[in-house]
Amino acid sequence: MTVDTTPLRILLSEAGFRFVEPPILSDATVFLEVAGEDLRRRLFMTSGADGREQCLRPEFTIPVCLHHLATGDAHRMADYAYLGPVFRHRAGESGEFLQAGIESLGRTDRTTADADVLALALDAVQLYNIDAPDVRIGDSLLFSAVIDALGIAGVWKRRLARAFGDRERLDATIERLSGGRSAEAPAHAGFLAALDGTDHDAAHRIVEDLLSIAGIRAVGGRSPGEIADRFLEQSSLAAGAGLDARACDVIERFLAISGSPDTALHSLRSLSTEEALGIDTVLDSFEKRSEGLARRGIDLATLSFSAGFGRRLDYYSGFVFEIYDAGCKPGQPIIGGGRYDRLLPALGAKVTVPAVGFALWLDRIQERAA
Amino acid sequence: MIDAPLVLAVPSKGRLQENANAFFARAGLPVVQSGTERSYRGRIAGLPDVEIAYLSASEITRELAAGTVHLGVTGRDLVEEEVPDFADRLDLVLPLGFGHADVVVAVPEAWIDVRNMADLDDVAADFRPRHGRWLTVATKYVNLTRRFFGRHGISDYRIVESLGATEGAPASGAADLIVDITSTGSTLAANALKVINDGVILRSEAHLVASLSASWSGAARGALRIIVDRIEAEAAGRSVREVRADVIDAEGAALVALDRFGATAPFGTPPGALTLHCQASKVYACAEWLRTGAGARTVTVAKLDMAFSATSPLATRLLGRLDGQHTG
Repeated sequence: MTVDTTPLRILLSEAGFRFVEPPILSDATVFLEVAGEDLRRRLFMTSGADGREQCLRPEFTIPVCLHHLATGDAHRMADYAYLGPVFRHRAGESGEFLQAGIESLGRTDRTTADADVLALALDAVQLYNIDAPDVRIGDSLLFSAVIDALGIAGVWKRRLARAFGDRERLDATIERLSGGRSAEAPAHAGFLAALDGTDHDAAHRIVEDLLSIAGIRAVGGRSPGEIADRFLEQSSLAAGAGLDARACDVIERFLAISGSPDTALHSLRSLSTEEALGIDTVLDSFEKRSEGLARRGIDLATLSFSAGFGRRLDYYSGFVFEIYDAGCKPGQPIIGGGRYDRLLPALGAKVTVPAVGFALWLDRIQERAA
Repeated sequence: MIDAPLVLAVPSKGRLQENANAFFARAGLPVVQSGTERSYRGRIAGLPDVEIAYLSASEITRELAAGTVHLGVTGRDLVEEEVPDFADRLDLVLPLGFGHADVVVAVPEAWIDVRNMADLDDVAADFRPRHGRWLTVATKYVNLTRRFFGRHGISDYRIVESLGATEGAPASGAADLIVDITSTGSTLAANALKVINDGVILRSEAHLVASLSASWSGAARGALRIIVDRIEAEAAGRSVREVRADVIDAEGAALVALDRFGATAPFGTPPGALTLHCQASKVYACAEWLRTGAGARTVTVAKLDMAFSATSPLATRLLGRLDGQHTG
């Protein structure tokens, strides 16, 4: 038994999305470059006659974006839809399964485009009689704005931003950066204490001298300057210059905010005012998106926002959502989507290209129907 | 085919081949190459139901996993790298005592801030924002690397597959660090690389490996029993010493020897000299006690070529697993 995809095709076409059929056999490197090495265990790998690694496409977003880049100016507006098999190694399940979805590229009215895409995703699940879905939304721009406002050093901001979306990892990072609370004393404590207060250039010279005294050749991509920087980071952490008590407190209060978008917005505004965060611009965008959703007939009370919710691929750059049904297995949404303005530059575009889309797991719909 | 022969895969070149041939010869299983030197088939003198296939070590691993050969000599590193579910498909019958090497994570010595895997995770996490590319690891052990890095929570890296001279990759700029095999560490040191403290992924050595998915005929099973029995006898011979002593009370001495040194009296306690089988590591202590504690005037210790027991525990276990495989 298979799911009927005709109504879905009609829905997406009528919404102005043009169906494309990117090749099934793809260059594997591009997927691994974007998603990281861990994806490899899920890929059906093979190699071409020239020895280059190829794979069966594990998803559509990257192939559709590559198609977009290959067929014209990167920044032009284009709305694509797709429906077809994708291939991933999955324990106890078929490695070939159907996905459908859309990619909306080049729209500079970002909050409106976000709202359009989520509204269309909800229409799509409704075709399959999912009338009361569990919709989770998040926005990593809010988190970035908060850590910006707290005056955290660039190097710690990068660590925090990278851990966002994985609560366990984020908590561990915060714990580490807040120092003192972890019992483990750093290695080379004396050396780190001696470095405390030195600047990058001085530390750089110290590391170069150390290497020269020990007779160690420098090889590979990390420079002595970079090694010096890492010692300086550890030294400043050991001296308690990571996250101060206020920063930890604000981040924790921020991450605890959840609820429907309007109640969450209220809490976010209170936090911003009390702590003088000055993050009104992103809050205004958040509000505008919510209004857009309401205008499209979506009852905001049915959406669950969570400040700590993010999707674990680092090309996602803001608004994200996942749609679940009561019959779904945990962690297996029927739809996953969001904004990924960082992907097209990562694939070679010379300019930032606004991009937002979603993927629908037709196999999960089928499973639910069975 | 009821009488299809047992196919034993043996490394076709290099030190591994020499070591494997020497090992089989010691175990009373002399390998005879058929026809010319270049032939890729051979047999074992006196065992008509065994056919030898000469293959490269990594081919041996794959053929074992595919069930096209029954037994083979290959490194544990290759088994764990190339057969993800090796525990279900293969039986690592016996370590053979040669081909020792460790699969390790090695970084440039100049990375004086990197001592353990947690440091490497930290460096990996910060690498892409800094350099605009992933931290790269050169290796031929793609799966071992991915599993080990995964266990240490490291996700921000890319593997650059390397099929030779991996240790030169950091110096040539092909990769930032490596996962490779090392036996003495001297090649790593020559390339200004160091092993990370908790970066030993696997301690490997050559193993005799059996395929659980191959089709085992009656003849192949019979041959398996003989081969494993002889190999086990040789292995026992290597680790056990025969100790003879003219003790006063043979029965009492045998009990104490078992209790203190794990030494057995395989031929009982007849009048006259007592014969014990004792692990090589305990021989000196045992010989000392036999004189000071059991009244022996003379103790002799001899190496054994082989020690057969009535039943080969290894062959019994292995045949049991094969049967389980058939019924299951």
